[in-house]
Formats: sequence, structure tokens, C-alpha cells
Amino acid sequence: MVRNKRVGAKASVLAAAAALLLTACGGAGVDAEASAAPSGDAALAECGSYAIAMHAWVGYTASAQVITEVAKANGCDISQVTLAEAGVTYDAMESGSVDLVVEDWGGGRWQEWADRGALVEVGDNGNVGIIGMYVPQWMADKYPDITDSANLNKYAELFVTDESKGKGAWYEGPPGYTTIGEKLVSANNLNFTVLPQGTEAALIDVFTKAAENETPAIGYWWTPQNFLAKVPMARVNFPTNDWTDAAEASGLTDYPELPLIKLATPKAMDANDAFTKIVKNFKWTNDDQNAVAADIESGTDPAVAAQKWIDANADTVAGWLK
Amino acid sequence: MSVRTEPAIKIAPKSIRRSWLLGGLLIIWVAVAQILQGKATLELAVPENSKFTAWAGEVADSIRDNRNDGLAFKYFFNPIREFVDGFVNIIREFIAIPNGSSSIPVLGWLGVISLIGFVVFAVSNVRMAFAAVALTFACGALGLWTDSMDTLAMTFAAVILSLAIGIPVGIWAGLSDRVLKVVTPILDLAQILPTLVYLAPLALFFLIGPASATIATMVYSIPIAVRLTAFGIRGVPTSPVEAGTSMGTTKRQLLRKVQLPMSSRTIIMGINQTVMAALSFVVIAALIGAPGLGKPVIDALIIRNVGDGFVAGIAVVLIAIMLDRSTSAAITKKDTFVPPSEADRKRRKLALITAGIAAIVGIVLSRQMAWAAFFPKQIDIGSQVANASDSAVTWVTENMELLTAGLSKAVTVGVLNPLESILANSPWYLTIAMITLISLILGGIRSAIVSATLLIAVVATGLWYDTMITFTQTIVATMLTMLVGVVLGVWIGRSVRAERALRPILDAGQTLPAFVYLIPMLGFFGPSRFTAIATGILYSIPIVVKIVGQGIREVPVNMVEAATSTGSTKWQLITKVQLPAAKKSLLLATNQGLIFVLAVVVIGGLVGGGGLGYLVLLGSSKPELQGKGLVAGFCILLLGVMIDRIAQYMVARNSAPKH
Repeated sequence: MVRNKRVGAKASVLAAAAALLLTACGGAGVDAEASAAPSGDAALAECGSYAIAMHAWVGYTASAQVITEVAKANGCDISQVTLAEAGVTYDAMESGSVDLVVEDWGGGRWQEWADRGALVEVGDNGNVGIIGMYVPQWMADKYPDITDSANLNKYAELFVTDESKGKGAWYEGPPGYTTIGEKLVSANNLNFTVLPQGTEAALIDVFTKAAENETPAIGYWWTPQNFLAKVPMARVNFPTNDWTDAAEASGLTDYPELPLIKLATPKAMDANDAFTKIVKNFKWTNDDQNAVAADIESGTDPAVAAQKWIDANADTVAGWLK
Repeated sequence: MSVRTEPAIKIAPKSIRRSWLLGGLLIIWVAVAQILQGKATLELAVPENSKFTAWAGEVADSIRDNRNDGLAFKYFFNPIREFVDGFVNIIREFIAIPNGSSSIPVLGWLGVISLIGFVVFAVSNVRMAFAAVALTFACGALGLWTDSMDTLAMTFAAVILSLAIGIPVGIWAGLSDRVLKVVTPILDLAQILPTLVYLAPLALFFLIGPASATIATMVYSIPIAVRLTAFGIRGVPTSPVEAGTSMGTTKRQLLRKVQLPMSSRTIIMGINQTVMAALSFVVIAALIGAPGLGKPVIDALIIRNVGDGFVAGIAVVLIAIMLDRSTSAAITKKDTFVPPSEADRKRRKLALITAGIAAIVGIVLSRQMAWAAFFPKQIDIGSQVANASDSAVTWVTENMELLTAGLSKAVTVGVLNPLESILANSPWYLTIAMITLISLILGGIRSAIVSATLLIAVVATGLWYDTMITFTQTIVATMLTMLVGVVLGVWIGRSVRAERALRPILDAGQTLPAFVYLIPMLGFFGPSRFTAIATGILYSIPIVVKIVGQGIREVPVNMVEAATSTGSTKWQLITKVQLPAAKKSLLLATNQGLIFVLAVVVIGGLVGGGGLGYLVLLGSSKPELQGKGLVAGFCILLLGVMIDRIAQYMVARNSAPKH
């Protein structure tokens, strides 16, 4: 009985709290202060709310953040959703929880989703991806012919580690990135073991240490990426192939240049508001991206770094809104 | 042999014969593996599919294609998703995200803190209430108020839904033996399955977003709620039940008036464990679009920002401590049997009313005043904490390199490579035959049949080689975990002071998301299989230490006293009395260590572990290999089930009466 009474007392207090809470719901005084936020340009005031996919690398963050800031300034309600790239993100676009990918490296993997109407290709974003196998600059200086893949076997011994089963260690790109390491190794008869790497962070670790300690390393890397500005590396050249012929291209091939594209949901593209315009017209160069990415990496808040670029390139930004 | 001096422990001749047999078997294995090195390893190149994985990929594709118009989706999966999404969002709007057209949630920060303080005070005591308030405030002070609230909201949503399913099922399983029999294997499976493994399949059915994340969390936490509830109901002594039955109470009355109240303590403990399980999911859930503290952890991993990830990890730990201690306090409060005096009750009532009024004031303020609605930006020590941990990691990386590199090399060359050459680089039939024989010796005929069947299933999937790579790392990681875990476990088992000193570290270690220490690990050891192993060790050590410590503490006092009086040294006491007497705990600790190591296999794939973990990651990002990723997850499950079964048969054998 005693217990019951106590519970009763508790319940009545809670009920009173709830009642007061409900009355408090009526007057949300905070909103009056908070709604002094910038209201958008009158012509584009109808902009909806969108989610931008945020991916694993700083360059992507730079592009996405610039679009975010420009869209916000034009009255759009933008949220950012961190996701793994490719499949997961395409699924998210199909489910409607993400509306835009600003930099897709997938090399057409999204086609299946596009066929189902889950997403639309919106064209190039102006950045061009160059993937390849890189060695630290000190190696290229010491062994000038190492950047020709034909000579790699000569140096294979240098790259042996405990992980690589007696052959040279070949640090492959992370999952989700376009990788053809196995093909490169077998087609060129290279005496290397392809070591799968789970994250970009692992590669950064390898290259940073290789540069600092002058240890040998060969691994997957790409531009645009401001990392190359901090840790200089040399790209190893493989026999190039004609990528227009798919059958040929599976041979001794090197990675092709990859124009990076934007993907968006039909919802975003059909809305015809400021966001649609920005997504359609957004285009900038590798240098632009690297500049913003360098700021972000050195500790500047991404929003601030993006705004700095926007202020300095007002004309370009105005062009996106036309 | 000094066995004579400890009459309490007898070594059965059977177990001596067993260890000889095992040793001989191992020697034969090593020799034959050496001869047949590199033959019939069934290695499958990373970009290639086996027949089975290709088929799995097609199935996944057809599920995707059916998503919009398949009947199962229209009438089953989609309604579930919409319901869960809606439910999660109601809670989020209450404390975390802007509610409707407003720019703040229903409660601003002061409101949330007041409410937490009041609720904790109501269910436990005033000290706990202040602690809870301080811990919640600290999350804000780390600059992570909104993310913390999102995590809290997601956790609550998952816990409420888990309990709504788990407690009724648990009661049912508690009352009926048949239900318990049906439910137990399902629970086992759900708990062994590494969490990252079912994310991709769940996302196939429930899409990316809070719903998938919540459902994934529930898969993990419902079994705990069911188990502890059933356990509680079954633990009710028979006499009150019989008394009730003889007085002619109905089954329903019996449940409500006798069984439920008498098992309430265990049920609350179940709630506590469910909360902790749900919270441990925070970071993993962020991989499929869950909002909250997981996001900054993943972001930090991506741009190699050790500090920021660490800060977010600390916030997770703070919330874990807050929730754990408040729910535990509710349990101890249930334990006081002395009825409070009239004066005490009056005082308590008054205190509750005062606290209630204070809470209401806080809530109203948080809706009216900007300072009480948005967490003050001036209070932000996040960047200081981040910088401090950054420099600590840099210092270790730069100054301890000889030590870290040496350790990594010793384990890789001395243990990992030889073991891998036996398990993975020798013919598959040899490995299967040997594992089956070993489990026959250790666990008996049933465990041998289970091992052989599961291993042949792995061969059939086409991922044999990768499975053996993962198995090797799992074994090495577990061995090292046990090495460290037993030492620490014995220490805390023997010394109350050590227990008190280590306890908070162990608690933090159990709740700190594994993702937080990936980057430091990479810095220390570079991307390698050893780094993956080290991650597994860090993750599983706390549970092993706790179980071993508990086992040592439970060794009967008279055994210890007997040994001491016969003049055994401390070392003899530990090795000849306490450890052998805690054998069952050691086996359980090994089993749990293995399962915990397996749980982070996928995370190990992120730092160079290769094997199944890497394939799971690959499958979730490369659509043409999605089938391979799904099957890799399935193989992790097979490994887990095999290890778990062998261990259980072993325990059953060892605890059987000696003859």
C-alpha cells in the first residue's frame, strides 16, 4: 500500500509537469528571436529543404560546403548527411533521405539506380579525377626510372614488408573507390601483392611515414587532393590504353582520367527552385577545390572556408544562380 | 610436481591424455601443412565473385527492384519503416531537432537537463540526479549538445521499442518452456552476429536512415531484454507461486501480483543492459544514416582528426555512464526493504514536488529564453580536449615507434604468419579435418559435427580463404586478449583497490566506440593485420578482465585459506588454486573474448586486416560485389557460431561431474 501511494504522488507530479508543458507549448518565445535569420532573395524564396550527402574526403567536403552555403544564402533549407559512398548513398537517394552527391567517382555504378528513376546524372562538376599508383618523391629522385611501370619489378624487393608475403607491398585504394590493382599487377606481371586498405586514412598514414622516414612505399592515390601539396609524390606511369574499347581496356591499362559528376534526385531536379539551379550550374576547377580543402584541413571550419571562397569568387557564384 | 601440496585440485588422467593427444595432432598438422603449403587454398581474388556470392548479389538486386511494388514491401516492410521513422522523429523533435515550424526542439537545453534531473531523482536519489545533470551538461560543454541529444533520442526510441517487444516475449518465455526452447537459438544467433554485418541487408529492406538504424539497434538489444526478463520470471521461488495457485488465483493474477513484482529487479537490470546495448550502437548506426554522436566520430575517422573523434567518443561514454548509473541506482533502490517512516515519506514527497517545480521552471524557461534554449557557445572545451588528445597521440607515435614497431613485428612474424600458413595457406581439407579433430577432443562428438558442418558450409560459399585469414586474426587477437586479460583479471579479482581503480577505465573501454581509436592505432602500427588485431584486443579486454576478476573473486574462501595455511607462495596460490578453481570463468571469458573480437572484425578491415571484414566493407560500397559482402558477413556468423558452440560443449564437458 505504501508503495502505491508513493507512485501516486509521483504520477500526480508528472501529470502536473505535463500539463504545464503543454501550456508552455503555446508561446514559443525563442522563435521570435531566432527567426531573425536571413530571409532569402524574393525571386527564389520558395526554395525547399534538401539533404546533401557528405563523403569521406576533404575535397568532397569543400564542394559540398560551398553548395550548402550558396543554397542557404538563397533561402534553401540544407542538411548534410554523412554516408559511405556509392551503393549506400544511391540507396539513400532512392529512399529520399539524400538529394545530392556533388562529386561521384563511381564510374557509372549508379546506372542501375538511374534506370529505376532513383537519381539523375546532372553532368560534370568541373573537377577531373586522376587516379594512379604513386611513390614518395624521394624514391622518384633516387631511382628516376621507377615511375615507369616496366621497371617496377627491378625495385620490388625494396617494397617487401611482413604483410606482403615476400613480394612488394602494393597499397590498394579503399573499398568504394575505383580500383584495378589486381588487374594491373597480373597484366603487367608485377612481383607485388595487392594489400587491401580499408580507409583513405590508412593510405595517408603510409605515404606520410614514407616521406618522413624515407621508407619505400607504392600506393593508390588521386587528384584533386590537397594531400599532394603537403606530401609530394610521383605518379607511376603504366601503359595507357584506349578506353573507348572496353575489351582492350581490361589489359595493361592505367587508370583513365575521370570527369567527376553530380548526381541528384528527381525531386531536387524537378523542383525548379534555387537549389535546382545551383545543382545544375555548379562547376569549379581542381584549384578551386584544393584551395577550400587546404583551408578545411588546416583547421578552418568548413562553413567559414567555403564562405571565404564564395566571397572571393562572387561572379562565379552569381553565374550558378542564373 | 607440487600438485601434492594442494589436495583440493586433482587433475583427471583423462585431461592429461587429452593434452598429449592435442599436442601430437598439432605437430602432425604443422608438418603436413608445411609439405602441402599453398595447395588447394581456394583463394578468390578480391574483385571476383564465386558462384554463390554472384547468386547472393542477384538476390539482393531483385530485392531492390521489388522495393517499390513488391507486396511484402507495400504491406510489411514499408509500414514498419514509416512507423519507426515517425516514432523516432517524435522523440527527436522533443529534445534534439527543431519541432515543426519552431527553430528549437520542444525542450531547449535547460529544459532537457531539468527533466533528466527530475526523472533521475524520482527513480533514484538526489546524488544520482546531480550526477546525471552534470554528465549531460558536460556533453554540451564538449560542444556536442545537439549530437548528444540526437543520440539520446535514438537510444530512447530503440530502447522503448525493444522493451515493448522484449518484455512480453521474455514473460512468455519465462512462463513456457516450449517458447523458451524456440526463442533461445534465435537469441544466440542475434547476439553472435557482428553488428556491422546486418546493416547492409537491413538497409536493403528498410532503406538508409533512422528507421534502419533503430531496427539494427533493436536486433542487438531485444535479445538482452528477452533473456533477462525470462530469467527474472524463472528465478521467482516456487513457494509463493504455489501458494498463489493453491489460493485459486488465476494465471493472470499470479503474473501481475506475484511473478512480475518479484522479478522486477532482474527486469530493471534487463532495461539497464538494453540501454547499454542500444548505446553501443551509436557509431555503427551512423554508417547507415543515423543522426547523433556517431557522425562526428566517422567524420573524424575520415579526415584523420584524432581529437574530434575522441571528443565525440567521450560524449558517448558520458551518456553511457549517465544512463548506466541512473538505471543501476533504480535497481539498488528497489532493494531497500525497510518501509520508509511517515516523516521520511513526507520529506520525500516535498522534495519531489520541489524538484518537479524546478524542472517545470527549467522547461518553461527553455522555451521562452534564448539562453536556456540554445546551449551557450562560450562553454566549449571540445577543442581543448581535442588538441590535448591530438598531441598525446602524436607524442606516442613519434617517440614510441621502436616499441610499437617492434611489438607489431614480433607478433606478425612470430605468431600471425606461421598460424596463417597453417590455417589459410594449406589445403582446405587438411584445415577442416584438423579443426574437426581438435573440437572432437575438446568438446566431444557433437561439437565435432557442428564444426565440420559449418566449415564445409564456408567452403561452399567460396570464401574459404578469406574466412581462414579472419579466423587466424581472431585466434591471435583472442590469445593476446587472454594473456593481458587474465593478468589484469587476477589483479582486480585479488585486490579491491585495483578493482576500484580499473573499474572506470573498463567501463569507459566498453562504451568508447572502437572507431575512435582506429586512427591512433594506424599511427602506432601503420595499416596492417596487427593493427586490426590490436583493435580487437582493445575492444575485448574489458569484458575478459571483468569476467576473470569475477571468477577469481568467487573462488571459495576456504580453498584459498587452505592453500595459504599449507604455505603456498602467492604465485602458487594464483596458478594452482585460484586460476584452476576459476576454470569455468576462464572458459566463459575466452568465449566472450572471441565473440567480441569477431564483432570488430569488420572494423579491422578498415585498418588493413583484409579477410572477411574487408569484403563486408567492399560489398557495401561496390554494387557489383554486394553479394560477396553479404556472404562474407554470413561467414563471420558461421565462424562465430562455430567458436561459440565448441566453447559451450567444452564448458558442458568440464562442468559435468567427474567420474
